[in-house]
Amino acid sequence: MTRAEILEKTKAVIFDCFPEMESQELTEDTVINTETAIDSMGFILIICKLEALFDVKIPERQWKKLSTLGDVVSAIEKHIA
Amino acid sequence: MLFDNFSHMLTYWAETAPDAPALRYENAVLTHRALLDAVNARTEEYRASGKTCLGVLADGSLDCVISVFAANLAGLQLVMLDESLSEAALAPLIEYTDIDVLWGDPDVTKALASSLTGGTDRWTGNVLFFTSGTTERAKAVVLSDTSLMRSAWNGSEKLPLNSRDTLLNILPLNHVFGFVCGLLWGLSSGACVALGRGARHYFDDCAFYKPSAVSVVPLLLGYLLRADALNPELRILLVGAGECKPELLDAVKAKGIRLAFGYGLTETSSGVAISTGGDPYAMEICPDYVVTLARDGEILINCPPCMMRGYYKHPAETEKVLINGVLLTGDLGAFDDKGRLRITGRKKDMLVLADGTKIFLPEYEERLSNVLARSELAVILRGSRPVLVLYGNGDKSEILRTIAPLMAEYPRGQQLTDVLFTREPFPRTATGKLKRWELQQKAGLL
Repeated sequence: MTRAEILEKTKAVIFDCFPEMESQELTEDTVINTETAIDSMGFILIICKLEALFDVKIPERQWKKLSTLGDVVSAIEKHIA
Repeated sequence: MLFDNFSHMLTYWAETAPDAPALRYENAVLTHRALLDAVNARTEEYRASGKTCLGVLADGSLDCVISVFAANLAGLQLVMLDESLSEAALAPLIEYTDIDVLWGDPDVTKALASSLTGGTDRWTGNVLFFTSGTTERAKAVVLSDTSLMRSAWNGSEKLPLNSRDTLLNILPLNHVFGFVCGLLWGLSSGACVALGRGARHYFDDCAFYKPSAVSVVPLLLGYLLRADALNPELRILLVGAGECKPELLDAVKAKGIRLAFGYGLTETSSGVAISTGGDPYAMEICPDYVVTLARDGEILINCPPCMMRGYYKHPAETEKVLINGVLLTGDLGAFDDKGRLRITGRKKDMLVLADGTKIFLPEYEERLSNVLARSELAVILRGSRPVLVLYGNGDKSEILRTIAPLMAEYPRGQQLTDVLFTREPFPRTATGKLKRWELQQKAGLL
């Protein structure tokens, strides 16, 4: 799976969890905590859904280090089988 | 049941209902007898080790719970630590609380080995909880197994569980609300406690364990509802450690789940008051607690069996808030005509977030002020998220970049989410103190 495909699927999960963000343009540089409506628990919800979707496990201690959407995509890319 | 301490509770249930399930973790079940045996075996290990203070990186697992009880039975001082903190953040906490042995992720405990101390002067039996895991001047609240058991009993008197119940513990055990209302409430009642499988399973633990009771913080409740993750067998939902939006409470009630709202502090071993009737904000005072109001409405609490021994190594800080056995909470409240307590606001400079954590503003703002080299700034809540307000102009992106390294030291929920600018001077009292709530109202217009 390409990085672009992971990004698109990640955005789809975010829009599914946060329909109010559908009009927002999300890029790899989008900082999740300051540029979106996703709070700390929302972030966990999204990560859980992404892990299920991509069948990966990103260690919980790394979650805190995922600042941008690009960081999330990189983490999925790294752990994808 | 009212128990004197952890040992009393574990022994009682091992003798009374030895084969009944005490703890579940994933597919493993530990009976009361097996739990006591496991605790006793670990107790002997701790006694033989000669260690005096155990720091627990509380992941809420079965082994974690066994270690907590065992260390206490062995007479060690227990320090409940937030496992999500970085090693850099944990190291000073280890030094401050005299930890000489750690329990937790082997990689982390190994990395922190050089931070371990020589231990405490004597075996104390203290149980320490941090009021907040990430403050520069972190304060640990000294409780005991006796005060925690007493608090659990107080809650049970208002909201009883029984041996047919399964209580899901989905909250971190390093938070006193999670420890008392997620673990001891169930165990002391003879119910089975299902141990949550970590943040990854927040949204499927209810479906997995099918609990009849669960304790949550408001932010988690919101997402459990959003993800439709509450199971049909659930009959009691206890919400605490923060303010909760009425629509969330209505959504719970609409599902036919009995909803209770709790008020408590780390300093009082958790539960002070709890709502059990139709109005979740009208809370009855728990049996042991005496609650009065100061002239300005500040909630004052007297409860010798549940009160903290003090802040660890901070006698001056203790004396500021604990006067003749009465705790000055910094919360504002009022009694209704039925004598039930309602929380009306906060007096102290602290933001309580929906995830149950707190931001101590003087320290937080001082650090921001140092990083930004600006003195006229304030942190307020917009919705449930912290934002920075600056007097004057500036480049928002540049400011966010500048504070990013500082923000990385805080849990995600405590990180600033936006920067607002105001051309109006901050509202202040005659003595120069910031009128934060006035600023909060004005911020809605910025």
